[in-house]
Amino acid sequence: MPSRLQQHCLLSLTILFALGLPIEVFAHGVDDNTRAFLQQNTGMQIIPFLYIGAKHMITGYDHLLFLVGVLFFLYRSRDVLLYVSMFTLGHSLTLLFGVIGDIQVNAYLIDAIIGLSVVYKGFDNLGGFKHLFGKSPNAKLAVLIFGLFHGFGLATKLQEFQLAADGLMANLIAFNIGVELGQFTALAFILLMINFWRKHRTFNHFATSTNCLLMSSGFMLMGYQLTGYFIN
Amino acid sequence: MQQQTIALTKATLFKYSIFSMIFAAITLLTIILPAEYNIDPTGIGQALGLTVFNKVAAEKTSSVSSQKVTEKTKATVETIETIEIIVPAHSGVEYKFTMAQYQKLSYQWVTSGTALYFDLHGEPEGDTTGYFESYAIATLNTMEGSFTTPFSGVHGWYWKNTADTPVIVQLTVKGDYAKHGLK
Repeated sequence: MPSRLQQHCLLSLTILFALGLPIEVFAHGVDDNTRAFLQQNTGMQIIPFLYIGAKHMITGYDHLLFLVGVLFFLYRSRDVLLYVSMFTLGHSLTLLFGVIGDIQVNAYLIDAIIGLSVVYKGFDNLGGFKHLFGKSPNAKLAVLIFGLFHGFGLATKLQEFQLAADGLMANLIAFNIGVELGQFTALAFILLMINFWRKHRTFNHFATSTNCLLMSSGFMLMGYQLTGYFIN
Repeated sequence: MQQQTIALTKATLFKYSIFSMIFAAITLLTIILPAEYNIDPTGIGQALGLTVFNKVAAEKTSSVSSQKVTEKTKATVETIETIEIIVPAHSGVEYKFTMAQYQKLSYQWVTSGTALYFDLHGEPEGDTTGYFESYAIATLNTMEGSFTTPFSGVHGWYWKNTADTPVIVQLTVKGDYAKHGLK
Protein backbone atom coordinates (compact mmCIF):
# COMPACT_ATOMS: atom_id res chain seq x y z
CA MET A 1 0.00 0.00 0.00
CA PRO A 2 2.70 2.58 0.74
CA SER A 3 4.26 2.04 -2.69
CA ARG A 4 0.86 2.55 -4.29
CA LEU A 5 0.52 5.76 -2.32
CA GLN A 6 3.96 6.90 -3.48
CA GLN A 7 2.93 6.28 -7.04
CA HIS A 8 -0.11 8.45 -6.45
CA CYS A 9 1.97 11.26 -5.13
CA LEU A 10 4.46 11.14 -7.99
CA LEU A 11 1.71 11.09 -10.59
CA SER A 12 -0.10 13.87 -8.81
CA LEU A 13 2.95 16.09 -8.76
CA THR A 14 3.48 15.58 -12.48
CA ILE A 15 -0.11 16.53 -13.15
CA LEU A 16 0.20 19.55 -10.88
CA PHE A 17 3.17 20.89 -12.80
CA ALA A 18 1.32 20.33 -16.04
CA LEU A 19 -1.67 22.17 -14.56
CA GLY A 20 0.51 25.05 -13.43
CA LEU A 21 1.66 25.89 -16.94
CA PRO A 22 -1.45 27.32 -18.57
CA ILE A 23 -2.67 29.24 -15.54
CA GLU A 24 -0.34 32.15 -16.18
CA VAL A 25 -1.10 32.22 -19.89
CA PHE A 26 -4.84 32.26 -19.36
CA ALA A 27 -4.96 34.59 -16.39
CA HIS A 28 -7.39 36.80 -18.30
CA GLY A 29 -9.25 33.86 -19.79
CA VAL A 30 -7.39 34.35 -23.05
CA ASP A 31 -3.80 35.23 -23.87
CA ASP A 32 -2.45 38.68 -24.79
CA ASN A 33 -2.68 38.35 -28.56
CA THR A 34 -6.21 37.03 -28.48
CA ARG A 35 -7.18 39.77 -26.08
CA ALA A 36 -5.81 42.46 -28.37
CA PHE A 37 -7.63 40.90 -31.30
CA LEU A 38 -10.98 40.60 -29.54
CA GLN A 39 -10.80 44.16 -28.30
CA GLN A 40 -10.16 45.64 -31.73
CA ASN A 41 -12.30 43.30 -33.76
CA THR A 42 -15.26 44.52 -35.76
CA GLY A 43 -17.23 42.75 -38.43
CA MET A 44 -17.29 39.16 -39.52
CA GLN A 45 -14.08 37.24 -38.86
CA ILE A 46 -14.82 33.58 -39.44
CA ILE A 47 -11.36 32.03 -39.39
CA PRO A 48 -9.97 33.90 -36.34
CA PHE A 49 -13.07 33.03 -34.28
CA LEU A 50 -12.86 29.41 -35.43
CA TYR A 51 -9.29 29.36 -34.23
CA ILE A 52 -9.99 31.00 -30.84
CA GLY A 53 -12.78 28.48 -30.23
CA ALA A 54 -10.58 25.53 -31.07
CA LYS A 55 -7.66 26.85 -29.05
CA HIS A 56 -9.88 27.48 -26.05
CA MET A 57 -10.98 23.87 -26.04
CA ILE A 58 -7.56 22.31 -26.58
CA THR A 59 -5.88 24.37 -23.85
CA GLY A 60 -8.71 24.11 -21.30
CA TYR A 61 -7.39 21.60 -18.81
CA ASP A 62 -10.64 21.36 -16.83
CA HIS A 63 -12.47 20.31 -19.94
CA LEU A 64 -9.74 17.85 -20.92
CA LEU A 65 -9.92 16.20 -17.47
CA PHE A 66 -13.66 15.76 -17.88
CA LEU A 67 -13.12 14.18 -21.30
CA VAL A 68 -10.58 11.75 -19.87
CA GLY A 69 -13.17 10.72 -17.30
CA VAL A 70 -15.95 10.31 -19.84
CA LEU A 71 -13.81 8.36 -22.30
CA PHE A 72 -12.11 6.17 -19.74
CA PHE A 73 -14.53 3.28 -20.20
CA LEU A 74 -15.90 4.19 -23.62
CA TYR A 75 -14.34 2.62 -26.66
CA ARG A 76 -17.12 1.91 -29.17
CA SER A 77 -17.14 4.74 -31.70
CA ARG A 78 -20.93 4.82 -31.60
CA ASP A 79 -20.87 5.59 -27.86
CA VAL A 80 -18.12 8.18 -28.21
CA LEU A 81 -20.07 9.94 -30.95
CA LEU A 82 -23.25 9.86 -28.90
CA TYR A 83 -21.63 11.38 -25.82
CA VAL A 84 -19.83 14.07 -27.76
CA SER A 85 -23.09 15.00 -29.50
CA MET A 86 -24.86 15.39 -26.16
CA PHE A 87 -22.09 17.62 -24.86
CA THR A 88 -22.05 19.69 -28.06
CA LEU A 89 -25.81 20.14 -27.98
CA GLY A 90 -25.57 21.34 -24.37
CA HIS A 91 -22.86 23.93 -24.74
CA SER A 92 -23.96 25.22 -28.16
CA LEU A 93 -27.38 26.05 -26.72
CA THR A 94 -26.07 28.01 -23.75
CA LEU A 95 -23.22 29.69 -25.64
CA LEU A 96 -25.55 31.19 -28.27
CA PHE A 97 -28.36 31.83 -25.83
CA GLY A 98 -25.98 33.35 -23.27
CA VAL A 99 -24.25 35.84 -25.58
CA ILE A 100 -27.36 36.85 -27.51
CA GLY A 101 -29.50 37.15 -24.37
CA ASP A 102 -26.62 38.98 -22.65
CA ILE A 103 -26.70 36.57 -19.72
CA GLN A 104 -23.74 36.89 -17.34
CA VAL A 105 -23.07 33.98 -15.04
CA ASN A 106 -20.24 34.22 -12.53
CA ALA A 107 -17.22 32.58 -14.19
CA TYR A 108 -15.91 31.25 -10.88
CA LEU A 109 -19.15 29.42 -10.15
CA ILE A 110 -19.29 27.96 -13.65
CA ASP A 111 -15.69 26.77 -13.38
CA ALA A 112 -16.44 25.28 -9.95
CA ILE A 113 -19.32 23.33 -11.51
CA ILE A 114 -16.98 22.10 -14.24
CA GLY A 115 -14.66 20.97 -11.41
CA LEU A 116 -17.64 19.17 -9.89
CA SER A 117 -18.22 17.41 -13.21
CA VAL A 118 -14.68 16.02 -13.01
CA VAL A 119 -15.33 14.79 -9.44
CA TYR A 120 -18.62 13.24 -10.57
CA LYS A 121 -17.02 11.37 -13.46
CA GLY A 122 -14.09 10.10 -11.36
CA PHE A 123 -16.45 8.87 -8.65
CA ASP A 124 -18.75 7.31 -11.24
CA ASN A 125 -15.84 5.46 -12.87
CA LEU A 126 -14.82 4.12 -9.47
CA GLY A 127 -18.30 2.61 -9.21
CA GLY A 128 -19.27 5.01 -6.45
CA PHE A 129 -22.82 5.62 -7.63
CA LYS A 130 -23.44 1.90 -8.05
CA HIS A 131 -22.56 1.44 -4.41
CA LEU A 132 -24.66 4.37 -3.25
CA PHE A 133 -27.76 4.00 -5.42
CA GLY A 134 -27.37 0.56 -6.97
CA LYS A 135 -26.73 2.06 -10.43
CA SER A 136 -24.91 4.86 -12.25
CA PRO A 137 -26.92 8.00 -13.01
CA ASN A 138 -27.93 8.50 -16.64
CA ALA A 139 -24.53 9.35 -18.10
CA LYS A 140 -25.90 10.87 -21.30
CA LEU A 141 -28.10 13.26 -19.32
CA ALA A 142 -25.19 14.18 -17.05
CA VAL A 143 -22.99 14.99 -20.04
CA LEU A 144 -25.77 17.13 -21.52
CA ILE A 145 -26.21 19.06 -18.26
CA PHE A 146 -22.49 19.69 -17.83
CA GLY A 147 -22.41 20.74 -21.49
CA LEU A 148 -25.04 23.39 -20.71
CA PHE A 149 -22.89 24.77 -17.90
CA HIS A 150 -19.77 24.75 -20.01
CA GLY A 151 -21.57 26.83 -22.67
CA PHE A 152 -22.44 29.45 -20.06
CA GLY A 153 -18.78 29.58 -19.10
CA LEU A 154 -17.77 30.22 -22.71
CA ALA A 155 -20.52 32.82 -23.11
CA THR A 156 -19.40 34.69 -20.00
CA LYS A 157 -15.77 34.76 -21.13
CA LEU A 158 -16.69 36.03 -24.60
CA GLN A 159 -18.91 38.78 -23.22
CA GLU A 160 -16.03 40.21 -21.21
CA PHE A 161 -14.72 41.57 -24.51
CA GLN A 162 -17.73 43.65 -25.49
CA LEU A 163 -17.84 42.03 -28.90
CA ALA A 164 -18.97 44.31 -31.71
CA ALA A 165 -22.59 43.72 -32.74
CA ASP A 166 -21.46 43.87 -36.36
CA GLY A 167 -21.09 40.27 -37.52
CA LEU A 168 -21.72 38.92 -34.01
CA MET A 169 -23.94 36.02 -35.01
CA ALA A 170 -21.55 34.72 -37.66
CA ASN A 171 -18.60 35.15 -35.30
CA LEU A 172 -20.40 33.25 -32.54
CA ILE A 173 -21.25 30.37 -34.84
CA ALA A 174 -17.64 30.33 -36.06
CA PHE A 175 -16.46 30.27 -32.43
CA ASN A 176 -18.83 27.42 -31.63
CA ILE A 177 -17.69 25.38 -34.65
CA GLY A 178 -14.11 26.10 -33.54
CA VAL A 179 -14.97 24.69 -30.11
CA GLU A 180 -16.22 21.55 -31.87
CA LEU A 181 -13.08 21.22 -33.97
CA GLY A 182 -10.91 21.70 -30.90
CA GLN A 183 -12.97 19.15 -29.06
CA PHE A 184 -12.60 16.56 -31.81
CA THR A 185 -8.86 17.12 -31.92
CA ALA A 186 -8.52 16.76 -28.16
CA LEU A 187 -10.86 13.78 -28.22
CA ALA A 188 -8.85 12.03 -30.92
CA PHE A 189 -5.65 12.33 -28.91
CA ILE A 190 -7.20 11.28 -25.61
CA LEU A 191 -9.01 8.36 -27.25
CA LEU A 192 -5.85 7.22 -28.99
CA MET A 193 -3.89 7.26 -25.76
CA ILE A 194 -6.56 5.56 -23.67
CA ASN A 195 -7.24 2.88 -26.30
CA PHE A 196 -3.54 2.19 -26.62
CA TRP A 197 -3.20 2.02 -22.86
CA ARG A 198 -6.28 -0.21 -22.52
CA LYS A 199 -4.42 -3.04 -24.30
CA HIS A 200 -1.78 -3.15 -21.58
CA ARG A 201 -1.98 -4.84 -18.22
CA THR A 202 -1.18 -1.54 -16.52
CA PHE A 203 -4.56 -0.12 -17.59
CA ASN A 204 -6.48 -2.23 -15.10
CA HIS A 205 -3.73 -1.87 -12.57
CA PHE A 206 -3.85 1.93 -12.64
CA ALA A 207 -7.54 2.38 -13.46
CA THR A 208 -8.38 2.92 -9.81
CA SER A 209 -5.57 5.34 -9.04
CA THR A 210 -6.16 7.32 -12.25
CA ASN A 211 -9.81 7.86 -11.44
CA CYS A 212 -8.98 8.62 -7.84
CA LEU A 213 -6.58 11.31 -9.04
CA LEU A 214 -9.16 12.57 -11.49
CA MET A 215 -11.56 13.02 -8.61
CA SER A 216 -8.87 14.74 -6.59
CA SER A 217 -8.11 17.17 -9.44
CA GLY A 218 -11.82 17.91 -9.62
CA PHE A 219 -11.85 18.77 -5.92
CA MET A 220 -8.82 21.03 -6.46
CA LEU A 221 -10.55 22.86 -9.31
CA MET A 222 -13.63 23.31 -7.15
CA GLY A 223 -11.63 24.61 -4.19
CA TYR A 224 -9.63 26.93 -6.43
CA GLN A 225 -12.68 28.41 -8.15
CA LEU A 226 -14.89 28.63 -5.06
CA THR A 227 -12.14 30.45 -3.18
CA GLY A 228 -11.90 32.84 -6.11
CA TYR A 229 -15.65 33.37 -5.95
CA PHE A 230 -15.66 34.17 -2.26
CA ILE A 231 -12.69 36.54 -2.22
CA ASN A 232 -13.63 38.52 -5.34
CA MET B 1 -26.42 0.57 -22.01
CA GLN B 2 -25.03 0.36 -18.50
CA GLN B 3 -21.82 2.32 -18.03
CA GLN B 4 -18.83 0.17 -17.22
CA THR B 5 -17.13 0.98 -13.92
CA ILE B 6 -14.45 -0.34 -11.64
CA ALA B 7 -15.74 -2.82 -9.08
CA LEU B 8 -14.38 -1.97 -5.64
CA THR B 9 -15.47 -3.03 -2.20
CA LYS B 10 -17.26 -0.40 -0.16
CA ALA B 11 -14.26 -0.02 2.13
CA THR B 12 -11.82 0.52 -0.75
CA LEU B 13 -14.14 2.98 -2.47
CA PHE B 14 -14.43 4.90 0.79
CA LYS B 15 -10.66 4.89 1.23
CA TYR B 16 -10.01 6.18 -2.29
CA SER B 17 -12.67 8.87 -1.99
CA ILE B 18 -11.24 10.11 1.29
CA PHE B 19 -7.71 10.02 -0.14
CA SER B 20 -8.74 12.12 -3.16
CA MET B 21 -10.33 14.72 -0.89
CA ILE B 22 -7.41 14.90 1.52
CA PHE B 23 -4.91 15.09 -1.31
CA ALA B 24 -6.91 17.90 -2.95
CA ALA B 25 -7.20 19.77 0.35
CA ILE B 26 -3.46 19.54 1.04
CA THR B 27 -2.56 20.68 -2.47
CA LEU B 28 -5.02 23.55 -2.30
CA LEU B 29 -3.83 24.77 1.09
CA THR B 30 -0.11 24.44 0.47
CA ILE B 31 0.28 25.18 -3.25
CA ILE B 32 -2.71 26.44 -5.21
CA LEU B 33 -4.25 28.99 -2.82
CA PRO B 34 -0.89 30.56 -1.82
CA ALA B 35 0.15 30.92 -5.46
CA GLU B 36 -3.18 32.06 -6.85
CA TYR B 37 -4.67 34.18 -4.10
CA ASN B 38 -1.91 34.71 -1.55
CA ILE B 39 -3.98 32.75 0.98
CA ASP B 40 -1.42 30.79 2.94
CA PRO B 41 -2.83 29.29 6.16
CA THR B 42 0.04 26.83 6.61
CA GLY B 43 2.97 29.09 5.69
CA ILE B 44 4.23 26.36 3.37
CA GLY B 45 3.41 28.42 0.28
CA GLN B 46 5.63 31.20 1.59
CA ALA B 47 8.39 28.72 2.39
CA LEU B 48 8.19 27.29 -1.12
CA GLY B 49 8.33 30.79 -2.58
CA LEU B 50 4.93 30.52 -4.20
CA THR B 51 3.53 33.79 -2.90
CA VAL B 52 5.79 35.88 -5.16
CA PHE B 53 3.11 36.20 -7.85
CA ASN B 54 0.97 38.25 -5.54
CA LYS B 55 3.82 40.47 -4.48
CA VAL B 56 4.03 41.59 -8.10
CA ALA B 57 0.31 42.21 -8.16
CA ALA B 58 0.59 44.17 -4.95
CA GLU B 59 2.92 46.61 -6.69
CA LYS B 60 6.00 45.60 -4.74
CA THR B 61 9.40 45.25 -6.28
CA SER B 62 10.26 41.64 -6.90
CA SER B 63 13.44 40.21 -8.30
CA VAL B 64 11.56 37.23 -9.71
CA SER B 65 9.23 39.30 -11.85
CA SER B 66 12.09 41.24 -13.45
CA GLN B 67 9.83 44.24 -13.25
CA LYS B 68 11.31 47.17 -11.40
CA VAL B 69 9.34 50.12 -10.24
CA THR B 70 11.16 53.20 -9.08
CA GLU B 71 8.93 55.46 -7.12
CA LYS B 72 10.17 58.80 -5.95
CA THR B 73 7.62 60.52 -3.82
CA LYS B 74 3.96 59.93 -3.43
CA ALA B 75 2.26 62.28 -5.82
CA THR B 76 0.33 65.04 -4.21
CA VAL B 77 -0.56 68.04 -6.32
CA GLU B 78 1.48 68.96 -9.37
CA THR B 79 4.54 66.91 -8.64
CA ILE B 80 6.32 65.33 -11.52
CA GLU B 81 7.05 61.67 -11.15
CA THR B 82 9.25 59.41 -13.22
CA ILE B 83 8.58 55.69 -13.24
CA GLU B 84 10.64 53.00 -14.87
CA ILE B 85 8.75 49.93 -16.05
CA ILE B 86 10.37 46.84 -17.49
CA VAL B 87 8.32 44.96 -20.03
CA PRO B 88 9.78 41.42 -20.20
CA ALA B 89 10.40 39.75 -23.57
CA HIS B 90 7.28 38.29 -25.18
CA SER B 91 4.87 39.60 -22.61
CA GLY B 92 2.59 42.44 -21.66
CA VAL B 93 2.53 44.74 -18.67
CA GLU B 94 -0.27 46.92 -17.33
CA TYR B 95 0.57 50.07 -15.42
CA LYS B 96 -2.37 51.94 -13.97
CA PHE B 97 -3.17 55.12 -12.06
CA THR B 98 -6.11 55.29 -9.68
CA MET B 99 -7.98 58.51 -10.44
CA ALA B 100 -11.33 60.15 -9.71
CA GLN B 101 -13.68 61.36 -12.44
CA TYR B 102 -12.72 64.40 -14.59
CA GLN B 103 -9.11 64.46 -13.41
CA LYS B 104 -6.26 65.17 -15.73
CA LEU B 105 -3.01 63.32 -16.26
CA SER B 106 -0.19 64.66 -18.41
CA TYR B 107 2.32 62.09 -19.51
CA GLN B 108 5.37 61.47 -21.58
CA TRP B 109 6.96 58.07 -22.11
CA VAL B 110 9.85 56.71 -24.06
CA THR B 111 11.13 53.15 -24.51
CA SER B 112 14.73 52.01 -24.60
CA GLY B 113 14.45 51.90 -28.40
CA THR B 114 11.96 49.28 -29.49
CA ALA B 115 8.46 50.34 -30.49
CA LEU B 116 5.76 48.72 -28.33
CA TYR B 117 2.12 48.01 -29.04
CA PHE B 118 0.13 49.87 -26.39
CA ASP B 119 -3.43 50.47 -25.32
CA LEU B 120 -4.02 53.50 -23.10
CA HIS B 121 -7.36 52.89 -21.40
CA GLY B 122 -9.47 53.26 -18.29
CA GLU B 123 -11.50 50.76 -16.27
CA PRO B 124 -14.43 52.01 -14.15
CA GLU B 125 -14.22 51.55 -10.40
CA GLY B 126 -16.06 48.50 -9.06
CA ASP B 127 -16.68 47.08 -12.52
CA THR B 128 -16.65 43.29 -12.73
CA THR B 129 -17.61 42.78 -16.37
CA GLY B 130 -14.12 43.60 -17.69
CA TYR B 131 -15.36 46.74 -19.46
CA PHE B 132 -12.82 49.40 -20.37
CA GLU B 133 -12.54 52.43 -22.61
CA SER B 134 -9.49 52.98 -24.81
CA TYR B 135 -8.04 56.47 -25.24
CA ALA B 136 -5.22 55.55 -27.60
CA ILE B 137 -3.99 52.39 -29.33
CA ALA B 138 -0.83 52.37 -31.42
CA THR B 139 2.65 50.91 -31.77
CA LEU B 140 5.24 53.56 -30.91
CA ASN B 141 8.50 54.04 -29.04
CA THR B 142 7.53 57.37 -27.49
CA MET B 143 4.41 59.41 -26.84
CA GLU B 144 3.47 62.61 -25.13
CA GLY B 145 0.02 63.87 -24.23
CA SER B 146 -2.69 64.07 -21.60
CA PHE B 147 -6.12 62.72 -20.87
CA THR B 148 -9.07 63.61 -18.67
CA THR B 149 -10.77 60.67 -16.99
CA PRO B 150 -14.36 60.04 -18.15
CA PHE B 151 -15.12 58.05 -14.99
CA SER B 152 -13.49 57.20 -11.71
CA GLY B 153 -11.36 54.05 -11.71
CA VAL B 154 -7.93 52.93 -12.89
CA HIS B 155 -6.41 54.47 -16.00
CA GLY B 156 -3.16 53.66 -17.72
CA TRP B 157 -1.25 51.65 -20.24
CA TYR B 158 -1.03 48.12 -21.47
CA TRP B 159 2.31 47.67 -23.22
CA LYS B 160 3.14 44.57 -25.21
CA ASN B 161 6.67 43.53 -26.01
CA THR B 162 7.01 41.03 -28.87
CA ALA B 163 10.81 41.27 -29.01
CA ASP B 164 13.27 38.73 -27.63
CA THR B 165 14.73 41.20 -25.12
CA PRO B 166 13.11 43.16 -22.28
CA VAL B 167 12.19 46.78 -23.01
CA ILE B 168 12.39 49.57 -20.45
CA VAL B 169 9.69 52.22 -20.53
CA GLN B 170 10.47 55.51 -18.83
CA LEU B 171 7.21 57.18 -17.91
CA THR B 172 6.96 60.73 -16.60
CA VAL B 173 3.60 61.88 -15.27
CA LYS B 174 1.99 64.90 -13.70
CA GLY B 175 -1.60 65.00 -12.48
CA ASP B 176 -4.18 64.16 -9.86
CA TYR B 177 -3.98 60.51 -8.98
CA ALA B 178 -4.18 58.65 -5.71
CA LYS B 179 -1.82 55.77 -6.36
CA HIS B 180 -0.25 53.87 -9.20
CA GLY B 181 1.37 50.54 -9.92
CA LEU B 182 1.56 47.40 -12.01
CA LYS B 183 -1.69 45.65 -12.46
